[in-house]
Amino acid sequence: MIEFQNVSLMYNQHRVLDEISFCMDFSEKIAILGGSGEGKTTILKLMLGLIHPDSGRILINNQDITVLPEPALRDLRIYFSIVFQEGALFDSLSVGENVAFYLRERGEFSESDIEKTVRTFLRKVGIEEAIDLMPEELSGGMQRRVAIARSLAAHQPKMMLYDEPTTGLDPITGDTICALMNELSAGAPQQRSGLAIVTHDVPAAASVAERFLYLRQGAIFFDGTLEALKNTDDPGLRKFIEDILI
Amino acid sequence: MDYIGAGSFFIVFLVSLFIGMALSLQISTELASLGLKMYTGKIVGISIIREIGPVAIALSFAGRVGSGMASEIGAMVIGHQVDILRVYGIDPVKKLVTPRIVSAAIMLPVLTIIGDAVALFGGAYIVIFVSQESGSFYWSQIRAAMNFPNIISGIVKPFVFGYLIACISCYLGLSTKGGAIGLRRATTTAVVLSTIMIIISDFFMTQILFMILGMKA
Repeated sequence: MIEFQNVSLMYNQHRVLDEISFCMDFSEKIAILGGSGEGKTTILKLMLGLIHPDSGRILINNQDITVLPEPALRDLRIYFSIVFQEGALFDSLSVGENVAFYLRERGEFSESDIEKTVRTFLRKVGIEEAIDLMPEELSGGMQRRVAIARSLAAHQPKMMLYDEPTTGLDPITGDTICALMNELSAGAPQQRSGLAIVTHDVPAAASVAERFLYLRQGAIFFDGTLEALKNTDDPGLRKFIEDILI
Repeated sequence: MDYIGAGSFFIVFLVSLFIGMALSLQISTELASLGLKMYTGKIVGISIIREIGPVAIALSFAGRVGSGMASEIGAMVIGHQVDILRVYGIDPVKKLVTPRIVSAAIMLPVLTIIGDAVALFGGAYIVIFVSQESGSFYWSQIRAAMNFPNIISGIVKPFVFGYLIACISCYLGLSTKGGAIGLRRATTTAVVLSTIMIIISDFFMTQILFMILGMKA
């Protein structure tokens, strides 16, 4: 269980988050929507303990991560894997080396085991043939698929976090990424690994998530299902989700 | 090590060669008016080994390697690669900073030794071919300048400079905020701060080394 309790955060005298509170299970499929600069990515970073709020508490399995030191946070981050907007691949490493990165860091596996694992996950995301390419040779969609493979190879997370996974991609590639996200979080609720997607691509969010949070002016303006989202009366929110109302 | 050491060789070679030649030209011209031109080697040797070599090479090093470290780590912060390391439970300081500090602290003294040698050869060129003085006398004075205090001074300083440049540059790289503008600010500050710290620490190290090695002003 992940719980935000009255979390506030200022950045450069701008209130990014204003006393937001919500909770979710690791197995939930949740989309965090909102315009640019509304603090969507900030929520993911707070969840991972990469940044700390100015006030409020963030509980992961009832442990307040806002007061935990870095070594203790590392133990909790094992619940998550994150795929950043541009993939965040290491430029100096090939695709295969990127996916193998954490496995090599752990130092517990033989090279043959690592290569087998790398190929397995690259095959799963559909780009095994790119194993020897460098990140700069990949398209945006391929970079994100490599980032997903790297996350999966590192460990089996309870929840996958996606930061703008379809932004800047053509619709077909975006659909491929969404299908992949759905595949990775498939299964019966409570047994599957969940996902949290941060995006302003509403159709993409609608194709993967079951619960929707909409941020406006640093606060959670809407929290509900797709049906409730579509039936909202708020003109601003209706404008934001107009792509799925057609 | 490769980027920091071998990759800096060309700039160190070029800077050292021309500093050695310019210094030799200046000194031999001034000493000629006093009729002491033959002592050019002694002054060039001491200046290069003890002071100008370590400082000039450290300044070049800060410009090339310090800015590179700050921008590389800063780009990794902006591109979220540093966040990825933290998510995987890998300490970014151990992974990114420590190897750079060790490499800089080892490679800058090595580069300084090479640069000093190049500068002395540059000085020799001026003494022999421009000032028309004896090359063997120049080199005998250089050999005399290579005593224990001068050599220690010439090696300790670049070791400290390398450590300072890497620490400052990595720290500013990891503190990068705000996209391209933040990256520019981090890189510029890394070079400026490294330059200032090299000059200031050089003065204090000179004083400390004078005390330790029993040299008097």
